[in-house]
Amino acid sequence: MNRNNIPWILTFVLATVMTTSCNTEFLSPPSEGEFTDETVWSDPALVETFINNMYFRLYEPLTDGRGTANIVDEGHYRGNAASFQFNNSQLSQDQLPAWSYQRNLTWSGMFTSIRNCNIFFSKLEEIPFTGEVVDGKSDADRMTGEVHFLRAFFYHYLVTLYGGAPLVTEPFELDDDFAVERASYADCIAFIVSECDKAAELLPEVHTGSNAGRATKGAALALKSRVLLYAASDLHSPNTVVSGFSQPELLAYTDNNRRERWQAARDAAKAVIDLNRYSLHKATPAAGDSVAQNLTEIFLTNNTQEDIFVKYFIQVMGQRWGLYTSPNGYYGWGVNAPIADFVDAFQMADGTPFDWNNPRHAADPYANREPRFYATVLYNGAQWRQRPADVQGIDPLNRIQTGVYRRWNAATNSEYEAYGVDTRNSPIENWNGSYTGYYCRKYIDPAVNVQYENQTVTWRFFRYAEILLNYAEACIALGEEAEARNAINQVRARAGLPPTEASGETLLQLYRNERRIELAFEEHRFFDVRRWMIGPEAYKPIHVARVVYPLNPDRTTSSTPVVTHVPFEDHSWDDKAYFFPISRDELNKNERLVQNPGY
Amino acid sequence: MRFTLIITIATVAATQFLAAETTYSQALDKRIDLSYRETDAHTVIRDIERKTGIQFAYTDNLKLQDIRLGRVAFSNQTIRHVLDELLTRSQIAFTEKSGTITLYKAQQPGRVTGRVLSAQGEPLAGASLHIPELDRSYGTDSEGNFSFTAQPGSYTLVASYVSYGTQRQSILVEAGGQVSLDFVLQLEEGALSEVVVVGYGTQQREEITGSVSTLKNEKLNAAPAINPANGMAGRIPGLVVLTPSGEPGSNSTLRIRGENTLGNNAPLVVVDGIASREWERLNPQDIESITVLKDASAAIYGARAANGVILVTTKKGTTGAPRIQVNYNEAISAPTMIPEAADAATYAELINEVLEYEGAEHLYSPEDIQKYRDGSDPINFPNTDWYDVALKNWSSQRTADVNISGGQEHLRYYVSAGTRFQDAIYKNSATSYQQHNMRVNLDGKLSKYVRYGTNVAVREVHRDYPTESASTIWSQLRRSKPNTWSYWPTGEPADNGDSGNPVVITTNQTGYDRNKTTVLESMATMTIDIPGVEGLSVTGNAALDLTMQNDKLWKTPWYLYAWDGEALDASGNPVLSRVQRGYTNAELTQEFDDTRLVTLNARVNYDFELGRAHKFNVMAGAERARGETMDFMAYRRHFVSTAIEQLFAGGDADQNNGGSASQEARLNYFGRVNYNFDSKYLLEFVWRYDGSYIFPEASRFGFFPGFSAGWRLSEEPFWKPLLPVINDFKIRGSWGRTGNDRINPYQFLSSYAYATGATNVYIFNQNEAAKILQESRIANPSVTWEVANQTNIGMDMHLLKSKLTFSAEYFYNLRTDILWSRSLSVPQSSGLTLPDENIGEVENRGAEFQLGYQGTAGALDYSIAANVSLNKNRIRFWDETPGVPDYQRSTGLPMNTALYYNAIGIFRDEDHVNSYPHWEGARPGDVIFEDVNGDGEINALDRIRLDKTGLPTQTGGFNVDLRYKGFFASVFLQWATGAMRNSYYEQQGQIGNYLASEVEGRWTPTNIDASKPRAWNRYNEYWRNNANTYWLQQTDYLRLKTVQIGYNFPARLASRIAAKDVQVFLSGMNLLTFTGAKDLDPENAPTNAASNNTGWTNAYPLNKVFNLGLSLTF
Repeated sequence: MNRNNIPWILTFVLATVMTTSCNTEFLSPPSEGEFTDETVWSDPALVETFINNMYFRLYEPLTDGRGTANIVDEGHYRGNAASFQFNNSQLSQDQLPAWSYQRNLTWSGMFTSIRNCNIFFSKLEEIPFTGEVVDGKSDADRMTGEVHFLRAFFYHYLVTLYGGAPLVTEPFELDDDFAVERASYADCIAFIVSECDKAAELLPEVHTGSNAGRATKGAALALKSRVLLYAASDLHSPNTVVSGFSQPELLAYTDNNRRERWQAARDAAKAVIDLNRYSLHKATPAAGDSVAQNLTEIFLTNNTQEDIFVKYFIQVMGQRWGLYTSPNGYYGWGVNAPIADFVDAFQMADGTPFDWNNPRHAADPYANREPRFYATVLYNGAQWRQRPADVQGIDPLNRIQTGVYRRWNAATNSEYEAYGVDTRNSPIENWNGSYTGYYCRKYIDPAVNVQYENQTVTWRFFRYAEILLNYAEACIALGEEAEARNAINQVRARAGLPPTEASGETLLQLYRNERRIELAFEEHRFFDVRRWMIGPEAYKPIHVARVVYPLNPDRTTSSTPVVTHVPFEDHSWDDKAYFFPISRDELNKNERLVQNPGY
Repeated sequence: MRFTLIITIATVAATQFLAAETTYSQALDKRIDLSYRETDAHTVIRDIERKTGIQFAYTDNLKLQDIRLGRVAFSNQTIRHVLDELLTRSQIAFTEKSGTITLYKAQQPGRVTGRVLSAQGEPLAGASLHIPELDRSYGTDSEGNFSFTAQPGSYTLVASYVSYGTQRQSILVEAGGQVSLDFVLQLEEGALSEVVVVGYGTQQREEITGSVSTLKNEKLNAAPAINPANGMAGRIPGLVVLTPSGEPGSNSTLRIRGENTLGNNAPLVVVDGIASREWERLNPQDIESITVLKDASAAIYGARAANGVILVTTKKGTTGAPRIQVNYNEAISAPTMIPEAADAATYAELINEVLEYEGAEHLYSPEDIQKYRDGSDPINFPNTDWYDVALKNWSSQRTADVNISGGQEHLRYYVSAGTRFQDAIYKNSATSYQQHNMRVNLDGKLSKYVRYGTNVAVREVHRDYPTESASTIWSQLRRSKPNTWSYWPTGEPADNGDSGNPVVITTNQTGYDRNKTTVLESMATMTIDIPGVEGLSVTGNAALDLTMQNDKLWKTPWYLYAWDGEALDASGNPVLSRVQRGYTNAELTQEFDDTRLVTLNARVNYDFELGRAHKFNVMAGAERARGETMDFMAYRRHFVSTAIEQLFAGGDADQNNGGSASQEARLNYFGRVNYNFDSKYLLEFVWRYDGSYIFPEASRFGFFPGFSAGWRLSEEPFWKPLLPVINDFKIRGSWGRTGNDRINPYQFLSSYAYATGATNVYIFNQNEAAKILQESRIANPSVTWEVANQTNIGMDMHLLKSKLTFSAEYFYNLRTDILWSRSLSVPQSSGLTLPDENIGEVENRGAEFQLGYQGTAGALDYSIAANVSLNKNRIRFWDETPGVPDYQRSTGLPMNTALYYNAIGIFRDEDHVNSYPHWEGARPGDVIFEDVNGDGEINALDRIRLDKTGLPTQTGGFNVDLRYKGFFASVFLQWATGAMRNSYYEQQGQIGNYLASEVEGRWTPTNIDASKPRAWNRYNEYWRNNANTYWLQQTDYLRLKTVQIGYNFPARLASRIAAKDVQVFLSGMNLLTFTGAKDLDPENAPTNAASNNTGWTNAYPLNKVFNLGLSLTF
């Protein structure tokens, strides 16, 4: 090496160091995974995706495949200790068992959703909306309306589960004082209703094209109807549970202006009806229609005339309801299995109640039931979709098998029991078998092989049948029984049932049963049981079906099963469970919070 | 295996080449009878040619016919002897080449003399001096002197001495000349003059003042491990190696001095000076040494040094003739422990019990159970041991590599190629691991002032898997029911009524998952000694690392054979139907990652002395590193045909793709000052001023200093009387402050991110998927470094002429400003997603001891080494929910502890249940939870916090090396204590099988005084779904980690295949384990040390390995 090269090498070395001189730029590579605050709020298109996340956070049971059905008198979640605890009111400051399946419906989840809405409103002034008018509303109006609606919806769930909650309408910063006290129930309802009103004002009646599926005026009014109906109910009027509490105003109205509240609920439902935009799907069954098929269609069709606010699905979203709910004989997981007590609530095809004391009913309990039974429940012997290839040898007839077959073994000269392929002693994934002898039929798309494919059925947050029933309930309370019967009979007619002439207490009970059946597995019963304060009635020892194909005297197995409903699991009620406990940790973190009674 | 073939060819070729070069004395060793009364040399040569056919070559000027010989009589003598006798006197020499003997005029030989000394200047008596060119060895005398004569020519001298290293020097011998040279050998590991690699430089062991441990190549390679990390466990005090999985290709988790932070505890790994390289995939043969910086000495790595630094140095060439080493290892391996599952009869009994407790009827009659037990009706009542049917007894692994090193001063080279292969334990395994490494390390001196170095390493790593993960497979093996079929008598895999038959999902019948990683690591460095200024040099360094990763996941439908349970064919075999399982149609996911890292640094080094006693070494430098990563993936399904496994052949529906990228940048300045007064007082100061893109501009730079000092008492006059016993004694201490920047970047910005994952979309207009944007977190504009305050005191002692060495250390680490979110104290009603804030404080203290002895007894050389490390951390402050009862608080206890109900027995009967507070619904046979707070009910307040975690608090190793003549042996024991794991495994009951050990002696109505609970069904029982101490296991263990026994063939024998050294050895790893942990290897445990993590129960077990190795040096 020539010595003359040395200066060059030194230069090279020093250049290496020199290149590091512009520190700030060198050390500030942009984040390539995330958007900054400024980027988001200066672009309405990004703001829209932020609003999409609020929709995404709305609760529905189809995604996770497990609804509140399992923790009220609708369904049973096989072998789930947490559900069992919930069904025995074992709620405490330390645990809220089985509630983790209700995605985003937790105390923290709802406040996260509410914060998202609050961020939007705090940035509202910064957003350079385009002003483009679609479906009669500008983008500013539409988005603002959507967020008002969504904030109302989140608060509705929060207040329904916990009673009055901290009314947070501004987004917190890191150094803020987070201790906010609970607002009264009345103030919360007033806030939610005003949000609904603002939303209804700003939102179009119909969204077209790529906006279809966003909240409409109808959605805002339907939410308002539900909110006011709940607010007018027994639980939120002065009652013994609430009055023993030191701060009853957190849980209920303390005045006696109940009639006003029923009137508001009635008017809110009527406002939806008066939009004249919605009607029942196949409201009058045509001659030769399978009514059960009509009813099934509602849940397997993307759009019907009955929809007020829905959530669509596509394959990749991994909707689990089909897999979780299907029988194990289809490699399903047997969750949300209807309990026998719920099955008993379905009427006969002629509209009379089912009765085990009626020998004809008892002999063949699955015959001549109302069409909604066949649309909602899979029972032993029900004809269903084709079995997976390896099960076809066991069940070539594609009928649900939840029974036991008593058989004769000629070789050993003894009787033995063979178990149906959908039982917990099945050769197919028996640990997924239902304990109740039933499987849920609602929302299951028989065209999808759940073992491999996700189904994509649409979820309905609000459908017209609910509004009719909301209206009926308020009318009954106001004594407008004819008006109530009219609404109820529309629902009954579509379900293939004769109109009711009932009145008084009978009408009320008939209405409640109608709501239980019509809206089963649609996330209503859990809340209805509470607001009607019928906890002790709903949480009591449950029954399951026992289905046995007896051995005939000639040692052949009978082809007709003997079905009985036998006691199974003890469920019990404690009045504290009308409201959820605020967790011990949250109370410790925020000393201004007051715990609900009983915890 | 094409690569292996190339290596084999290269090896063989090299061997041939060498064989030709060496004096391969076939002709000279031939024997002959000769007898003359009087003759001359020419006649004799001609006669030998005639009698033996051997060719002689010589020139006329030797005048052979003029060499008169008197009486000549040889009977059965070698030609060598004959020629020696007849020609040597006449100054004629001879040599044989390719069968021809050449005669030539002998020149006057030269003389070579010298001494072999230790670094302390003591003569090494009996050191060996080998001259490969002459294939001769000499020993030194009692003064360390050697002397020999040689023909003129170039020679290499290799001096070596037991427990000292080897040194090579080249000489040129001239006719009649004299060459004199000395060798100074360094004591090996643990010895005083070892050169230790430290951050941005090297130091003499005796001058080190920080806590620095090293491991040399030989120890690393003693274990027949595919991943070098597995050979490191227990070798270095203070370094914990956790091996949570034995799956081929899996990585280990390293912890230096335990865990110090609530955040990321991974140490910084620096390979050949470049940070963040993956070292576990290096060829272990290429690794020269591993240094672990445990205290303030790591401060020179500043903001990433808080968890300690591991410096890996690869080999360099040494001056001299080419030295070729070939290593081959062939091994068999098997899991150390396989759980024993319950058999079919036991399982049937348990299911009956489960059904009985649920109020249902028995499923299996006593006759059924008897048939399961006696196997009399295997078609209807099978009894399958799933581990047995799916696993082989042994799987294979092998490694082969070759390296060539040598060179002259201006160019030294180390070139290597190697391949490693490991099979999994499954029969027809789809899982395997293959790794190919190539490396070229060059260095040398370009001129008097310029030195250079360049390292280029390329490796390709192939990891093949089935479409199901190891955790799915081991879970499926564990839960598959023993009363189902694996194969039908006719050989078809059975549909076992579950989602995966283990005998199929372990193979490639379901498709495959193939991961290929290609890594290029390159570096160039140049050092210039500034002319005219003694001791001043400048070094520049540039490195480029590229990693490309390609993953192809191909899932195809697969088939099982179902039986309806009744139909039999004429020969009594079940009539089967073929059913499709798994995936409806073939689907393909491909992923590609690309990572680049460019590191540039420059530094100035100045060694100088002030007066004679004050020595200084000053170094300062700057470094910048910039990294980029990008990845993308694509997915298609609906393949019409599975013949072409490429994306284009997939259907258009449901296709999906994605991609992302990130960048990182770091800039820093660092330095070191060493002051050495008369080798007595040692001071060191290291620092780094570190800038990272992770933090906001205002707090982007941090300053991290480290101070250390040492006092060599043995250099003091007053120590003189003690010197014969304690020949070296040093005490040292250090304090430093380092940082940890391993947090999510950009926390100083408020940010929003699209939810990733196909499920995170919202659909409008029936099928239009819309993006959803989520608030990532709110900003913490003041986010900054975690700070580690590290204090260390230690002492090093050498006794009995350095035969006995002892070191001890005590450390106290206080980590402050730990980035942790306040999510436990901020009310959830805030709705906030909190950023990390610098709030946490954790202290960690411990001690390390290391003891070694090297001795000889006759021809036996032996060395014994032991080390023990203790450490325990404690949370001083972090975010904790207010109002937690004292006995549940985590502050003040080690990190990652968990709450458990305390299991204190089994309820014997109904009276027993009623006599003690119990979980609502408890029944006889259930686990008793202690009523800790004595309030008469069992609820969350009765949980206790245990202070044990998955991380051991004491680890150690004990090593014995023996060498007797050509034989050598080493035994290494390793242990770890103080850790525990939660053995709860959910999928038991109707969903899956139990382990035999869990249910033997269980509670039944007829065995009420049991210590194990009644039969359970999955998570249905309260003592299953609530974490409790019944399921905890201590994982203390002592294991025979490695054992090796081998033989070095004598040079005489080695030379027959032209080798200088031939070594064969048997070695083993994890051969014996002593532990109280049941069913699964004690090292199969959660890596994150959180005791409640039970994912490890599906871990691929650790392997024990038996290896046969061969090592040839030419």
